[in-house]
Amino acid sequence: MKSRTSWQIMRDTVHALFIRELRTRFGANRLGYFWALAEPAGQAAIMVALFSAIGRHSLSGVPVALFMLSGILPFKLFSKLLTQLSAAVQANKGLLGYRQVAPIDPLVTRLIIEFATFLIVYVLLLLILAWVGLDVLPDDFIHLLAATVLMVFVAAGLGMIFCVTQLYWDDVTKLINLVMTPMMFISGVFYSATMVPEQYWYLFSWNPLFHAIELSRDAFFASYTTPLGSWYYLGAFALVTQAMGLMLYRANHQRFVAS
Amino acid sequence: MIRFNSVSKYYPTKQGRSYVFRDVNIELPTDRNIAILGPNGVGKSTLIRMIGGTDIPSSGEITTDKNISWPLGLQGGLQGSMTGRENVRFVARIHGYKETRQIEQQVADFAEIGAYFDEPVKTYSNGMRARVTFGLTMGFDFNFDVLLIDELTAVGDAAFKAKSQKLLLEKYEKTKVIMVNHSLDQLRKFCDAGVVIRENTLHYFDHLEQAIEEYQEVYVRNR
Repeated sequence: MKSRTSWQIMRDTVHALFIRELRTRFGANRLGYFWALAEPAGQAAIMVALFSAIGRHSLSGVPVALFMLSGILPFKLFSKLLTQLSAAVQANKGLLGYRQVAPIDPLVTRLIIEFATFLIVYVLLLLILAWVGLDVLPDDFIHLLAATVLMVFVAAGLGMIFCVTQLYWDDVTKLINLVMTPMMFISGVFYSATMVPEQYWYLFSWNPLFHAIELSRDAFFASYTTPLGSWYYLGAFALVTQAMGLMLYRANHQRFVAS
Repeated sequence: MIRFNSVSKYYPTKQGRSYVFRDVNIELPTDRNIAILGPNGVGKSTLIRMIGGTDIPSSGEITTDKNISWPLGLQGGLQGSMTGRENVRFVARIHGYKETRQIEQQVADFAEIGAYFDEPVKTYSNGMRARVTFGLTMGFDFNFDVLLIDELTAVGDAAFKAKSQKLLLEKYEKTKVIMVNHSLDQLRKFCDAGVVIRENTLHYFDHLEQAIEEYQEVYVRNR
């Protein structure tokens, strides 16, 4: 057998896991691909209908549909990453029996799948809105990407932390679901900081997801300037969660393998 | 050569650490076919798993410069939610094979489980699992130096047993085995050396008969 470097083995393994995970993520009958697109589109459509009913067609100078998507899609990415990563190793436990498969591999695989799905869904939905006649080009693409990547770092760090936690406490996934439901309403998905009275900002300023969505909208829309979103806070949060996640993984990676 | 460097393995229990192996220092040759002997619960499967890299010693390390298979046994190895074919593809890919179709066909031909090859592994019987597991290792040429076999040849009907044994013997030129089996007849057929697990450590014997004698001395006659 030809000998491979560690990187080549990891690449081959992540590729093999990628193909296996696509089926788990989107279902054997591929209906999942449809829902990946239809779910955020549907949520945005409902919000547009609600705002139209009260006679509003723009928020902070942005068309409602676009405003909603710029919050819903990052939120979906964040919550999907959290649930998918925290269960990643458990779901592939049988495959860790092969020496080539390290516990980090399913985490990397799921990160790639979720981020790629996010990008594809984002582009497709923007294309649909462009076709309807909206101006969908992001104002500052680099900063939009930067805010998204920092948010992915936060989610990946937390995902690793929960993945390790699950070794000691099985029910941690229930806790994640419990927390993520209210998070949808306090992370600025359906509103922005400028719509909240200033004396209540302290209720939101601890939340890294709120910062990520604020900064995304700041970058996306020329007409919106966030009064609250902070690159420093989001960056620091990403750094701390990544460091903690990687440390916990490193300290516990043998426990994933040993039965 | 498989080198054990002060290897210990324990499981945490309510009464404290329960040791399976304690400070094992030994070198097992890789040019012999080795039988692992010991009663239930003494750590035979744990040993096989640690050599195969699917379990990790609590302390110490096991090193080798040889190409060792994953443990072929009834537990693990196949992912229940994937079909037999998907499992085969997965294993081929992680071993660096890009084109998997020919390998799938070879394993399917060896396993002879028909349409079940495309059903999830969790619907398989023990015999069917063993057929796929065995076909997976033998069906395509990994060129392992050492095969780890944990009770695998014990299942399956007569025809499958005959077929897998024939294949195993064919591979003998290049490949050696480390085998766990409760049937001494089977061990005599495949192995020429033995390891007896006793008092949390390994005792190597160059001749299988010596090992069997020791095993019976310690574990059988005194009962």
